[in-house]
Amino acid sequence: MTPTTVGAPDLLAAVRTHTGTAILHNGAPIGYRELTARASAVAAALGPHPGAVGVYTSRTPETVIALLGVLTAGGAYVPVDPAYPEERQEAMLAAAGTGTVLVTAPGQAPPPGAVVVDVRGLGETDTETEPSPVDGTDAAYILFTSGSTGAPKPVVTPRRAISTVTAALRDLFGVTPADRVLQFASLSWDTCFEEILPALTSGATLVVDDEAHTGSFPRFLRMTAERGVTVLDLPTAYWHELVRHLAEDGGTLPESLRLLIIGGEAAAPARLAEWHGLGAGGVRLLNTYGCTETTLITHAVELGETVEGRVPIGRALPHVLERVTPEGELLIGGPALSLGYLGLPEATAARFGGDGFFRTGDRVERLPDGRLLHLGRLDGEVKIRGVRVDPAEVESLIGAHPDVAAVAVTGMAAAGRTVLTAYVVPAAHADPGALRASVLARLRATAPAHLLPGRLRVVPELAHTASGKVDRAGTRRRYEQGGEA
Amino acid sequence: MNVDGVIDIYRRVLESEDITGDSDFFELGGDSLLATRVLSGIARVSGVELSFDDFLLAPTPDALAKLVSSDERHLNTADGAR
Repeated sequence: MTPTTVGAPDLLAAVRTHTGTAILHNGAPIGYRELTARASAVAAALGPHPGAVGVYTSRTPETVIALLGVLTAGGAYVPVDPAYPEERQEAMLAAAGTGTVLVTAPGQAPPPGAVVVDVRGLGETDTETEPSPVDGTDAAYILFTSGSTGAPKPVVTPRRAISTVTAALRDLFGVTPADRVLQFASLSWDTCFEEILPALTSGATLVVDDEAHTGSFPRFLRMTAERGVTVLDLPTAYWHELVRHLAEDGGTLPESLRLLIIGGEAAAPARLAEWHGLGAGGVRLLNTYGCTETTLITHAVELGETVEGRVPIGRALPHVLERVTPEGELLIGGPALSLGYLGLPEATAARFGGDGFFRTGDRVERLPDGRLLHLGRLDGEVKIRGVRVDPAEVESLIGAHPDVAAVAVTGMAAAGRTVLTAYVVPAAHADPGALRASVLARLRATAPAHLLPGRLRVVPELAHTASGKVDRAGTRRRYEQGGEA
Repeated sequence: MNVDGVIDIYRRVLESEDITGDSDFFELGGDSLLATRVLSGIARVSGVELSFDDFLLAPTPDALAKLVSSDERHLNTADGAR
């Protein structure tokens, strides 16, 4: 196929046409001209077509500059959270096949052997580096989802997918140069792209601020008001807590806010009722649904009023093809589909099928007006603070401990959120009293924080199904009172 | 704000009566989401707006109450100076 400039260059061309403030970092403005010049310097340092480029992320403009620089060079962005255990970082870089690694903040130490470039030391280039020609099927980024084997599972997202979805989200959000969009999502997860790309291709300002991440709602709300934030994109679980704070502690939303986007897990009808009771009617509330494999958002719905029963996930966006199987599974096709799991042909065939549709594993029901309701999972996957977790991956990590004879992992509802819960049976030789601390210590050394169980119980045995398989839900019922997830 | 005030907040947020001055919030199943409720509760009662990082370093009611009172003194001094 002849190389074209389909894909990221159209995004980059859009970024380059704008003037004014691109990023407001702790109150200090960075102009579009500077952003483009610094991204050009990153692209020049990488050279054309650098392949997969590891980026050690931080909540800084440097990470956004690294992202744009990698895309300009024609490479694929592979974010690595520096808080992850070293073993996990190395496994991710190896699975993605990265050559160069970019660092974006002090104290970041990629594994020995990597070619490391510090984005902070590159400055600006006078001449813009022309984007390298890429094909629509070239990788734009590689992210990792939870896999059953305990190893990170890389998802390859092509250029045409981010181009298509960025355009769709600009329309959905109605972004204009007057908008100030908060950058809240971790730069190691895909949600950050739905904040960064629609904003910077529309000439809006991306607000990057340390006060967004203190965990204190009074400080969060004061910052958003001071910075004049107009668009917030929050994990649903965090929005639940925000609504609770507004309703119980009397905090107020910034007057500048016009759009609040939520997604990641089911919205609670009770929080939605509280939201509408707050008199936040002037703020557009948008519920969204999507998977990493289908690129950011595929379904959305305005939550303009209180809902009885389940809160819908909405209708397919114009670029999305959808099917619902007789069993109720949602299948998604179209130009926003990812290319599959890198180096894992069997896992790819199992979920992507070959018919151009991705099996989401989500069970849905279509309402008479066409909107979809999310009914649950067809497998055991759970959402922990908006992040997909395959219990089999956590079971595999815990089961590798020499003192563990058997383990079952499941989600459990507690205090209004889902808690990852592990039931561990000690090996015959093991000291059951020391097992909990020992298993957790080993997990902290090997697994990222979202895979750590919030509850870990040492139990004498697991429940089994009639066919002899471990019964996760049965185990939970045996040891918990009313602990349905 | 005293230790008992913080213990009350822990009990409400963790939905457990089994809390003492040296109970570690994060060992009792507290996570970053539940932590926001503790921080909101402390801010409402005392006016001190601690961060999640402060909380990680002072995860027990004893340590948190000490941190809050030192910040309260700081707030009072700042007010007095104005």
